[in-house]
Formats: sequence, C-alpha cells, structure tokens
Amino acid sequence: MSNLAVRIEGLTKVYQYFWRRKNTPALTNLNLNIERGEIFGLLGPNGSGKTTTVKLLLGLLFPTSGKSWLLGYPSSDLKIKSKIGFLPEESYLYRFLNAEEILDFYGKFFHIPRKERKERIDRLIQYVGLNPYRKRHLSQYSKGMLRRIGLAQAIINDPELVILDEPTSGLDPIGSHEMKELILDFKRRGKTVVLCSHLLADVQNICDRVAILNKGVLQVAGSVKNLLSKKDVVEILVKNFSDADIHAMEDFIKERNGEVLSVNHPSSTLEELFVSIIQRR
Amino acid sequence: MILPIASHTFREAIRKKILHVLIGLGIFIMAISPVIPTTDEPNARVKIIFVIFFQVVMLLCIVGVILLSATSLPYEIEDRTIYGILSKPISRLKIVIGKIGGFALLSGVLLTIFGLLNMIAVWWAASSLPEGQKSILKARNEFKASQFSIEGKLHHVHGGIAWIEGGRSGIASWNFSNLKKEYNNKTPLEVELNVKVESIRGNVNHIPLVIGIEDLSGDKKKTEILSGRADEPLIIRIDPEITKDGAIHVTVFPILEMDCIGVTQEGVKVFSIQEGFVFNYGKALIISFLKFLLIIVIAVMGSTYLSAPVSIVSALVIFSCGHILDFIKDFSLLIQHGDGHEHLPSVMKNPSVFLVYTNYLIKKPLEWLSFFLPDFKRFDSLKFLLKGINIPLEDIGAIFGYTALYAGACILISSVVFKRREFF
Repeated sequence: MSNLAVRIEGLTKVYQYFWRRKNTPALTNLNLNIERGEIFGLLGPNGSGKTTTVKLLLGLLFPTSGKSWLLGYPSSDLKIKSKIGFLPEESYLYRFLNAEEILDFYGKFFHIPRKERKERIDRLIQYVGLNPYRKRHLSQYSKGMLRRIGLAQAIINDPELVILDEPTSGLDPIGSHEMKELILDFKRRGKTVVLCSHLLADVQNICDRVAILNKGVLQVAGSVKNLLSKKDVVEILVKNFSDADIHAMEDFIKERNGEVLSVNHPSSTLEELFVSIIQRR
Repeated sequence: MILPIASHTFREAIRKKILHVLIGLGIFIMAISPVIPTTDEPNARVKIIFVIFFQVVMLLCIVGVILLSATSLPYEIEDRTIYGILSKPISRLKIVIGKIGGFALLSGVLLTIFGLLNMIAVWWAASSLPEGQKSILKARNEFKASQFSIEGKLHHVHGGIAWIEGGRSGIASWNFSNLKKEYNNKTPLEVELNVKVESIRGNVNHIPLVIGIEDLSGDKKKTEILSGRADEPLIIRIDPEITKDGAIHVTVFPILEMDCIGVTQEGVKVFSIQEGFVFNYGKALIISFLKFLLIIVIAVMGSTYLSAPVSIVSALVIFSCGHILDFIKDFSLLIQHGDGHEHLPSVMKNPSVFLVYTNYLIKKPLEWLSFFLPDFKRFDSLKFLLKGINIPLEDIGAIFGYTALYAGACILISSVVFKRREFF
C-alpha cells in the first residue's frame, strides 16, 4: 500500500477556448506528494489553481498533461472514489430534500446496506450538529447548516481521503471554529485531509503541511512549522514574571550579545475571543 | 447505482411546476372532451375521446417530458449539483441511463393515470351506443381480400374506384382465402363493407344492396339485403358453418338499375371479433410509452452537451420532424424530379445552376435528415383503436426493436459525449 494519499506528477491544465481566443493556463507542471494521515493545505489567491487541482483529482476536469494518483490508484479509476469524500466550494445540494434524504441519496452510491446507512445517517447528523433540523428541507437551511450537511455527505462513506474546498467559506466565526474542530477530528481518526483555502489563519492553525500556488504555479511546499519558523529568533513565553525580572532578563540577553526585539504581553486572537464570548452565553 | 439516480430524477421531476400545469391542462381537456360537439356518426363521441387523449393530451405530456428531460442535466451542471454525484463512484453512462430511467418512470405513471381516465371516459361514452356500433370497443383481427374482381359489366373506373350499376349488370366480388391460418373456429367473424353510393333517383342517402357470403365450394351460403350508406360501414355477422374451411367469397351488387356503387379491394374486410379491448388498449399505451421513451432518450442525449434552452428546442424540432418524415422524403424526391417540371423557369432547369445547388444544399441534407431522424409515425396506435382493430404483436415487436436500436445508438452517443465533458 502506498504511503502517499495523493501523488501529482507534472499536472498541467490549459483551458482551451474556441476560435482564436487565447488559451489560459490554469495549472502548470504541478508536482506534489501528500502523505496519509496529514492535513494538507492548498493555499493561494483566487484563480491560483487550487480548485482546478481538486477538479483534476476528482475527474471533473481532464489534465492537458501530467498524472495523478489517489491512495495509490490513478485518479481516473472510478473505484477509488469510494474511498474519497469531497466538499465543493459551495454547498451544491438538492434543496428539495431534507438532511436525511440527501444523505440517504448519496449513501446509496456506496452500496451501504439500508440498515447501516440509516445508522450512519443518524450518527452523521448528530456529528455535524443538525439533529434538530434533520426533517427540514435544505432550502430552509442557513449557509452554515448547508456547509455542515455538505460535510456530512462528503464523509457518508467514511472516506480515507477528504478533499475540502474552502470549507469555512461563508461561515461565521463559530461555524468556522466548529468546522476546524471537525477537520482536526478527521486527523485524529487517521484520515487524510486536503484543504483548499485562501483564509491563511484557518490553514495555519490546523494544517501539518501546506503548498502555496500562484497563477497556476507551485511557489512553495512544506510543513507549516518549517515554513513559518524564524531560525534566528527565539520566543520564550513566561508566566508570573515581574517587571524587575524582565529587566534582569533583558540585561542578561544583552550581556550574551543577544538583541531583544520586543517584550509584550501575548494576546489571544479575535476568533478565540469571539468564540469564548459566544460560547459563554 | 442507476436506481438511485432514476428515483431521484423522478422525485425531482414531479415537483416541477411546469409538469403540474401541463397535467392540469390535460385533465381539463379530458374533462371537456365528452361535451365537445361531434358529427352525427353514432360512435363519433367515443372517437373524439380517443383522439383528444392520443393526440392532444399525449402531446401535452410529451412536451412536459421533453421540457424536463432536456433540462435536467444542464440545470444540474449549471447549479453544480452534478459535482456531488460525479465525485461518487458512479460512471457517467449510469448517470445518463439513470436520468432516462427516471423520466421513463414519470412517463409510465402519466400514461397509466391518463390512460385509465381515458378508458373510463370511453366506456362511459360507449355504454349508450347500440350493440351494433360497439365494434370500436373490440379488438378485431383484420383480414384483407386476397382477390378482388368485377363480374359482368363495369360501368367506369374513377380515382381507383370501380363503379357498377344495379340490376345484376355487374357484381363486385372478394375472395378471402387466408382466414384459416389465423382464425380459430370459436371466434365469430364479421364482414365490414364500405362502398360509395350514387343514384340517378336523386339525392338518396341509402340504396338497397344484395350481399352474398358463401364458402368457396358454394355449398353454404348466406344472402342479405341491406341498406348501403355512403358514410357508414355495413357489418354482417358470418355463420361459422360458412367459414369452416377458412375461405369465403363475398359478392355485392345494388338491386335497383338506377343505383350505382363504387368499390375497391379494400372496400370489404373480414374481422375476427375478440373481446380484448382492455388488452388492446394496453398495447396502444405500450406503443405510446415506447414513443415517450425514444423522445426522452433523444432529449437527454442533447442535454449531455447542449445548454437547457438549446436542448429543449432541438428535442422539440426532432420530435416535430419525426412526424413529417414522409413529407421530408417527398420533398427531397420533388427536388430530384424538379428538372422535369415544365413550370420551372429555363434558367432553373440548367443543371449547372439550379440542380447542383438544390442537390447539395437541400436535397442531400434532407435525405440524410430523413435517414437519421426518428420515425414517430411508426408509433401511431390511435388508428387501430379508432377502427377497433387488434394491434398485432408483430407490430409491437417491430416498434420495440426500432426503439431499442435507436435508443441504444443515442445512449452510446450520450455516453461518449458526456464522458468527454469537463465541468468548469
């Protein structure tokens, strides 16, 4: 069994237009490996090629050149889709169905026996927190609820690889926080997650490794820790330290030819504050 | 895999408002069909109920089904709900077949409901008919004359109709030698006589006719004197003794010298009478279902590549052209013989100018079109019901084969096109 969840070799996509219009390269010679069990962030501004990459992996688009493998099988192999879950950029769901019906519909594609399917649907609806709204038509769902039911349909088959395109798009901070918690839970359960986003803070908190794309070209790839760490700077967080102790520490650093760049009290993020206030009430 | 798509497509389709409107319109038209003014013909009411269902209501249903089946895939592609399905382990061919299955199910439900309503209306309208006029509610097997001749003096022939004068100067005669093959002795037979009548006695509506029915040896014979009308067929039950050998001889002549009758080989037909109206009606609905199925396959095929409006228009155009294939073929033949037409200006008769252009710009495309277009006239089951004729199983088999071949080719094309389609 291959240790790679995703393997991409020289993947290129050029959108060919009809009649004299200039062809547009959407992705150029992408090489990327994603290991099993990690949360991988595919970052980049709008139009950088993130969604194109995902669509190429899922067979919604055909590559101009290059190849890709998912869980060791060519991505064009239909069978491999039974081990993949996909949450598109927007929740493109049938609005005339309710939560149970939509999950049942998608569940049927995986040959899950009726009884097991029902149990799994119950579990997933609980998992994404939509139990009180399970009989409500999707047309009456808020955007956040649609994202959650979208996520539930993506994991109805208990996939090994989950591809999430802008999972926090349109969500309020609470919804965004819960979505990130769900993604971290996937990792705890040994799933591989590929996360496309342009919201860098989201990715930084939860991804093990990231790749940054711009104009269809891979700019950088690596672990978040390595990419963000400043090797020549050291940060020490200390609790219960008086001002006199701080001055003494500064003097000690200067004696050792070190330079104090900043001394301040660390603050929490706005998201942390928002979540703590809302959850307290 | 196909079943979830089919049932989902069906569920989605029955929620569409356009379908509700068309169904409502269909029910309204069926409801008023028993009170639409008709001719004096006794079974005209029954006929109009048949015609309204098979031509008007069914057309509404077909338009509804075309609107839904031609737009289902394009709308799913447009609002991107197709992503959810395409990311699951299901082939694109199965998606196409599932869509077709869903709309076929919808057609089946529509035909069953409307068919039942129509059958109730027909029974109700026919219940007031005299016994002799209820042949429309039967499923009769038709036998055509193997031989037709005029014995004695033929007055004249005009427009393919042979005219004979009364007073035994000429006798029209038909031989039916093919009854034994299909006819079993337990089923009663009847002769249906359609003749044209004329008289120098003035404007008379009916003339007395002598009708003789005998076996070929002439041993057993039945002779009746009946009043022949121009607009109403004469129906005579045949004694089973006469038809024991499986062959009969029918003769007709007007009694009075001043009367004339016009006859053709098709003017006399023999029918074996079966009480299988419901079964026959079911066969008509099956043929109609096959017609629905074929147009669904064509509409879905278009929708795998075209946008919703273009897909609707193309399916409607194909459906319309499929009903006028004969006209298209005749039109191309007319162009072929156009050089022989004296009324064409001389410059147009010049092969280098007119014929070359008409040949390649109109005639050839029309020929190709008539070759590729589906022939929807094959699916006409109304003609059988209106005459109370049993729909031969061979005909249903042929229509089924035609539908299977045509639909198979369309599904193949759909599969290839849809497989190559990208979703941006």
